[in-house]
Amino acid sequence: MSMQIATSLDEVLAALAAGARPIAGGTDLVVGHRQGKAPLPESLVAIDRVPELAEIADGDPLRIGATVTHARLMTDQVVVDRLTAIADAAALVGSPSTRNVGTLGGNVMNGSPAMDTGAPLVVLGAEAELASADGIRTVGLDDLWTGPGRTSATAGELCTALVIPARPASSGSAYVRLEYRRAMEIAVVGAAASVTLDGDAVASVRVALTAVAPTIIEIDGLEGLTGRAIDDDLLAAVAEAASEQASPISDLRASDRYRRHTIGVMARRAVDAAARRAAGESISVPVNRALGIGAAA
Amino acid sequence: MTVTELPPFVRADGPDKVSGSGRYTADLTLTGMLHAAFRYPDVAHGRITRIDTSAAEAMPGVLAVMTDADVPDVHYTWAVADRTLFARDIVRFEGEVIAAVAAISPEIAKAAAAAIEVDIEPLPVVNDIEEALAEGAPLVHEDWASHTADDGIIRDGNLAIYSALQRGDADAAMASAATVVSSRYVADASHAAPIEPRAIVAQWEGEKVTIWTSTQVPYDARDGVCETLQLPASQVRIIVPHLGGGFGGKCGFHFEAHIAALARKAKRPVKLVFSRWEEFVAPDRRREGMIVELTTGLDADGRIVARKGWVGIDNGAYMADCAFFPQLAAMHVAGPYNIDHLSIDAKLAYTNHQPSGSVRAPTAPQGCWALESHTDELAAAAGLSPVEFRRRNLVDTGTTGPMGQTFDEIGALRVLEAAHAAAEGSGPLAENEALGLAVGWWPSFAVPAGAYAKMHGDGSVQLITGAQECGTGAVMTLRYLAAEELGIDVEKIQLVYQDTGAAPFGPGATGSQTLLNHGRAVETATRDIAEQLRELAAEQLEAAPGDIVLADGVASVAGTPTASIAIDELAGIAAGGNLLISSGTADVPEYPTLEGSHCVGDQGMAAWLAPQFSCHVAKVRVDRDTGVTRVLDVFAAHDNGTILNPIGAHGQVEGGILMGVGQALTEGTQYGDDGTQLNAGLLEYKLQTIADAPNIHTTFIEIPTANAGPKGSKGLAEAPNVATAAAIANGIAQVVGAHVTQLPMTAERVWDTANGTADQNGASA
Ligand SMILES: Cc1cc2nc3c(=O)[nH]c(=O)nc-3n(C[C@H](O)[C@H](O)[C@H](O)COP(=O)(O)OP(=O)(O)OC[C@H]3O[C@@H](n4cnc5c(N)ncnc54)[C@H](O)[C@@H]3O)c2cc1C
Repeated sequence: MSMQIATSLDEVLAALAAGARPIAGGTDLVVGHRQGKAPLPESLVAIDRVPELAEIADGDPLRIGATVTHARLMTDQVVVDRLTAIADAAALVGSPSTRNVGTLGGNVMNGSPAMDTGAPLVVLGAEAELASADGIRTVGLDDLWTGPGRTSATAGELCTALVIPARPASSGSAYVRLEYRRAMEIAVVGAAASVTLDGDAVASVRVALTAVAPTIIEIDGLEGLTGRAIDDDLLAAVAEAASEQASPISDLRASDRYRRHTIGVMARRAVDAAARRAAGESISVPVNRALGIGAAA
Repeated sequence: MTVTELPPFVRADGPDKVSGSGRYTADLTLTGMLHAAFRYPDVAHGRITRIDTSAAEAMPGVLAVMTDADVPDVHYTWAVADRTLFARDIVRFEGEVIAAVAAISPEIAKAAAAAIEVDIEPLPVVNDIEEALAEGAPLVHEDWASHTADDGIIRDGNLAIYSALQRGDADAAMASAATVVSSRYVADASHAAPIEPRAIVAQWEGEKVTIWTSTQVPYDARDGVCETLQLPASQVRIIVPHLGGGFGGKCGFHFEAHIAALARKAKRPVKLVFSRWEEFVAPDRRREGMIVELTTGLDADGRIVARKGWVGIDNGAYMADCAFFPQLAAMHVAGPYNIDHLSIDAKLAYTNHQPSGSVRAPTAPQGCWALESHTDELAAAAGLSPVEFRRRNLVDTGTTGPMGQTFDEIGALRVLEAAHAAAEGSGPLAENEALGLAVGWWPSFAVPAGAYAKMHGDGSVQLITGAQECGTGAVMTLRYLAAEELGIDVEKIQLVYQDTGAAPFGPGATGSQTLLNHGRAVETATRDIAEQLRELAAEQLEAAPGDIVLADGVASVAGTPTASIAIDELAGIAAGGNLLISSGTADVPEYPTLEGSHCVGDQGMAAWLAPQFSCHVAKVRVDRDTGVTRVLDVFAAHDNGTILNPIGAHGQVEGGILMGVGQALTEGTQYGDDGTQLNAGLLEYKLQTIADAPNIHTTFIEIPTANAGPKGSKGLAEAPNVATAAAIANGIAQVVGAHVTQLPMTAERVWDTANGTADQNGASA
């Protein structure tokens, strides 16, 4: 086995072209190997010391480098102010040590349906920027994730950044997760919402769900909520749509019956928190702790 | 009231452990050392039809492969000798060792273990307590009538041990009751889950073997090696480096003999380090699954007139140390209540699960959870508050326990009032919050133990004790007991411990016994040295030995403080003559007697020496939409006799409560239909994290207890783990309107209970 520590993007792309796999924080790759999920690749290239992959750039679009860690996401002012759902999610990942090394790119490219940053990225309209020796392309996340642990990226492609359109005025976002304990938890179910308000009425609302389908899914048919006030009826409609569109499994963590119910609860709470943020209320990151969701405050 | 006499102190081994400079068994490396790996079956029950080790033996780097054929033909363990070191013909649980390999690297050892060819014909799996006890169930031990066993053990199907508590006439009294309430509660098995997976290193020198091992009980480990490998005690030395926690999981004898036998065969030192999966499935120390059915009758004033009960306990595939569990569990579901008419049957059933064994307060957290949930149901039926109901029914000083034991001074009612008052005074409750209250009790176990003490010529002291540190820090208190007896600074006292080659027998870190038993031995041994010092001083000061006072490093004549001599100087004098050495074994306190009661299958658990009482009140908040429960505060009051080291005592209570929160909410082993554990790892077996810890408020009701440990102390390792899950259960029930009848009370189970859909959650024992 070999491991190269790259310091520039070109070096990384050359290594990938030669058959290496990227390793960022290693919290999925190495832990998965030790659990017997998949052996470590023969050839690895470490990407965590490539400066251009670790930048967060404000602007339109906003750009978050692939190797930005969860610890940075949860405290970076641009992310917390404008992409709050991502900060909510990053703050829930693992433990402090997981967050200090685990990266956004690793979370996205690992392709788990339980990834916490996935649903926030979807509702914020993010696209993945993929670079290879042959050039750069941008793909929507619904095209990127093709199944549990699978992406449409080729072996030679590196995710360099997540690219997110600038946020309209009066927008807010939030991510909530059902958790049985307050650290070292994997999402049983989770939901992200982005809400833009026009006065008291909904201008747009997007909701995406974690861990209830083979990939992160976005709820269809919420256009009908445009123009309505955020009230119990609207939240109930969101919950119902989430429960209906989920296709959860039963496993050690929960039954499908329970997941189908709680995904509705999470979706409702995510929309509620996102709308409150859109209306200017300050709800600290992560929402789970601020509002006592899941394992209450 | 505080009667503590010793100064509060921070344990001496703390800095080593926190900074990483402490050495654990897995850190040891010896010249030429090999690495061990075990071969396990892939099934929970089956007949071995073929084992072929030749491919493994032929692998480069493999120096020894062993099976049942390579060790003496010995059946072992406590009460029923149903066990061999390596599986013989039948495998009875997924973690049973079929073969062992020693190789030059852990990777080669693992590959070689996998290369051993084993054919197993699957047998029907006994996967549940009631199924095990049912007529016509497949037998876990077809041949167990042929094993040697303690007198009085009836061998009947899968029934391993049967105990019953009988007092008065429960049927007649029940018939006269004003109110009768019946309940059924089912607790899943759980685990000790110490942070350090076990490790063992064995090295032979000639006929003698030294075994470094992460055990809580060095002498039990030694005796197990001697019994199974047929070696005299003098040839086996057990040393325990720092131990990374135990919680009971490292009590008993486990794999020391396997590694010693491998090392002998390979003619090299051999080391074993368990993976987390192995730590979950292989040791015979799992907290037992349990079913509790209780029916209690009350009179018109809400006083208990009769209780009938049935307890089923999952023993797993082999007898570890569970023989006393049925009777102990029966005592926990009888509870610390005044009950004149009692009839409780308790059955320990063989299944094809990993063997159960003493995990911190065995049978108590589940038994107390079932009983105290039932007790809140009784209070509701009687129209009384939980605290008032308990006031009317709890035992206390001078009253008689469920099995006829009359109590000396105890703090049962005082802990109830103290915890209740602390909780009530903690401010208003928010929506979906409640205070749940539970009381618990726990016995003290007195057994013989020994200690040596020697004072060197410079006045420093070595205490040599069979005590074992398992995380509690209690061992550290031994130094303070000795310092007080000798009147010298505690810094002058060093401990030699965790080594059977040096120390006299002691039970080790088991059953809350460190201070209770080793403490009495240390007091006796050092008191002997103090006597010798007084005699020496008396000669020097021309006074009577009885008038000599030892304090602050000085021996002086009572009433004449100017007539004095430094203890260091006395030590120097003794070094040139009769050395200051001593040994001590303390008299074992006398156990209380039973009156008017009848025990079937008595295992000595029906009357309790120096019983410990606790009351926990948990402030819980339930997220009604999801069932997720968070424990915000626990108000704990404990009667554990005199508290010797307040810092350590608070740590014990806090740790016990946090473990109790895990048992209450997230920790439960799930079994597949094939009898294997589905969540044997820390990803899916959810321990509590420090982020989940409630605020813990502890009050000690200190009653110096006669006929107990040093200075009137009782134990404190297990008692804090008894009542927490029960208190949380009663809090949850208040919020959701019904009791969750399965443990752990997972979010989904709480949600189902709140919605009346609990029957859909696949309730299984
Ligand atoms: C204890 C623990 C707790 C955890 N808790 C959570 C949690 O709460 N929520 C959660 O979502 N996850 C959790 N995880 C999973 C993991 O930490 C996250 O998914 C993390 O973001 C992965 O990032 P990484 O940099 O460590 O990825 P790595 O392990 O380095 O890589 C993961 C995969 O992505 C590939 N990869 C990495 N970077 C790139 C890139 N830029 N382009 C292309 N491919 C790439 C790698 O080749 C590999 O296949 C946890 C993990 C552990 C060990």
